[in-house]
Amino acid sequence: MNFKKNVVLGICMLLVFSVLAACSNANTSNPPASNAGGSEEGQGSAKKDVKLTFFNTSAEVNTVFEELFKSYHELNPNVTIELIPTPIGGAQLEKFQSLLASNSPATIANLDAGTILQFKDKFLDLEADKAKYEALTKPGAIDGALLDGKFLGIPWTAQGYGLLYNKRVVEEAIGGTFDPASIKTRDDLAALFAKIEAAGTAPVMLHGADWSLGAHYLGLTYSLQSESVDSNRAFVEELKNGNVKLSENPQFTGLMDTFDLLIKYNARKKDPLVADYNKDSADFANGNAAFYFMGDWTWAVIGGLEGRDQEFGIIPVPVSNNASDYGNAQVAYSEPKLLAIDNSGSTPEQQEAAKAFLEWLVTSEKGQTAIVSEMGLSMPYKEVAVQGSNIISEAVTQYVDNGNAMNIGVINYLPQDYWAKTGASMQKYLVGKIDRQGLVDEIEAYWKSYAGK
Amino acid sequence: MKKNTLKNVGTFLLFGGPSTFAFTAVVLIPFIVGLYLTFTNWDVATNDGSLIGFSNYVDVFHDKIYLGQLWFTIKYVFFTVLISNLIAFFVALALTSGIKGEQWIRTGFFTPNLIGGIVLGYLWQMLFSQVLPYLGEKYGWTLFETSWLTSTGSAFWALVIATSWQLVGYLMIIYIAGFSGVPHDVLEAASIDGAKRSTIVKKVILPLSVPAIVICIFISISRAFLTYDINLALTKGGPFNSTELASYHIVKKAFLSNQYGIGQAEAVVLFAVVAIVALTQSYLLKKMEVES
Repeated sequence: MNFKKNVVLGICMLLVFSVLAACSNANTSNPPASNAGGSEEGQGSAKKDVKLTFFNTSAEVNTVFEELFKSYHELNPNVTIELIPTPIGGAQLEKFQSLLASNSPATIANLDAGTILQFKDKFLDLEADKAKYEALTKPGAIDGALLDGKFLGIPWTAQGYGLLYNKRVVEEAIGGTFDPASIKTRDDLAALFAKIEAAGTAPVMLHGADWSLGAHYLGLTYSLQSESVDSNRAFVEELKNGNVKLSENPQFTGLMDTFDLLIKYNARKKDPLVADYNKDSADFANGNAAFYFMGDWTWAVIGGLEGRDQEFGIIPVPVSNNASDYGNAQVAYSEPKLLAIDNSGSTPEQQEAAKAFLEWLVTSEKGQTAIVSEMGLSMPYKEVAVQGSNIISEAVTQYVDNGNAMNIGVINYLPQDYWAKTGASMQKYLVGKIDRQGLVDEIEAYWKSYAGK
Repeated sequence: MKKNTLKNVGTFLLFGGPSTFAFTAVVLIPFIVGLYLTFTNWDVATNDGSLIGFSNYVDVFHDKIYLGQLWFTIKYVFFTVLISNLIAFFVALALTSGIKGEQWIRTGFFTPNLIGGIVLGYLWQMLFSQVLPYLGEKYGWTLFETSWLTSTGSAFWALVIATSWQLVGYLMIIYIAGFSGVPHDVLEAASIDGAKRSTIVKKVILPLSVPAIVICIFISISRAFLTYDINLALTKGGPFNSTELASYHIVKKAFLSNQYGIGQAEAVVLFAVVAIVALTQSYLLKKMEVES
């Protein structure tokens, strides 16, 4: 009896202690807010030590960033940058949200544009620097990065996707040189696929993961509606309100007719949902499939392979049999990751230091070398001192420079779970678990669940 | 008297303090705060948590997908608990009968339990999606010709197998401990009376190791219900989100669909289900305990 009492007493005391401890933590762990006013005088003396944190969702290049932080620290000994890494394809958003919720946000965050939009009140408005970056970047690059008209994140990488092709395989199948511009319509593509299959190679690799099918393939539906992001957003709103019949939408039906074609000639026909990204990419690079629905980021896998084929290119996904329809000549192009600066718990000094670092990152030779050569990404900047090794992104850049880029910015405004939910429906369609009408019903139902949100 | 109380408190703090503190900090407080959150519409972006009563719970019972996945989880738990306990029981039996190299085999069975769920999940994913289909194609085994992870039915069994494989070693250790607690005189008496090995197992060892069985079933039920890492690494909820176990669904609901309140309410419902199932079984099984 006595013992029980003691136990209870002990627990109570511990509870009290832990509550006290929690309170005292809350008082000390939030200096930015209380210091914000008094820090003005500190700025004059400059060279005060600043510590920045960098939240990175491009997990595959964590080490490259760490090297960059070291180099920057050598140039600016007063600035220390610490990486907050995230796992590849793992719980990135969860981690970011828990940092925000615990009032210890990262000073700089490399995030998907959609995530920045979702938490837009937490980030610093970079309006003052907009003109400077407009002068530095390629035309349209900053416009594409605006979120609800605000400049919240600095673009540093650009990606394009479509049907990648393995030049050697295609040319062996058709017995001559291949001109990517010759594929203007779905029928052109079908004829080419038939030839490649007759030559004994699988015509196309269709990666069966939900992100590829939901975000990249089905996601084209929303971008194909028009060239203007605003009217594409309006289209999505109409979808949510239930005013759009997808089965009567020519862009959607055209896109899905092409999808049927891809299913028919799919190299993974036997078991379409295995979706091993490394294996699919390697098989394409080694010539086991002529085409591959993927983007230039796959160079990270292909680039280092031994004994792979040498020449690759990209064509847009043809969505109709009318060559002049929007999308048949345009490659989907976006700035998937933006660098944003926190405005919810960082001091003005940290923000200034962060701005200076980001400018160094995208303009200095060291930063550009790291991004272009080591990460294998392409930068939407006018003056890039280094030549990249990524053949596929060079091919994408050609489309962009010729004005043949499709702005897929509308995806930034879609709910965060759209790719997972609609991607699952696309997977069902891919394996024949539902038919076209079933797919339409599921996608429309998904959007209606967001009515008014 | 007073001095004594103080001394007792001191003793308690010395021995029980650290773990009580840890338990309070990482289980009790988060649980209470979590419970509170289910009655609000809290969200990271707005940080506005106004009370909205029970509407999150109403939403939970309108979320047909969640209820479907909860049922899927219950089936998964049933088979995982059954298979892992049966295997662990017989493995433990075999490894207490004095086979040569017993210690090594025990270590071998226990090793999977030391591998983290994520690593283990990727390992089995490799097996199911690459190795087995390759072998299946080579030797014409129709069972393995396509990856087990691409259809709902076989992905279910893949999950059960991978989880059981991890659990068996742990449960085996508990069973071994239970068996070694069976008094030798009873066993000797049984064999002098002419009981066969199978009869000894059924009539002597089994009833006397009920406490071990209760613990094992309790542990396997709660671990199977809360499986998240293997699910994430092995199937990622696929194909088409049909193999999302309850925990995985909850995490996605909260962090991907940004419905924190509903996600948290679903977590509370899951807690209730686990608590009811686990406590009922241990209550029922405890009644079967006998003294030797």
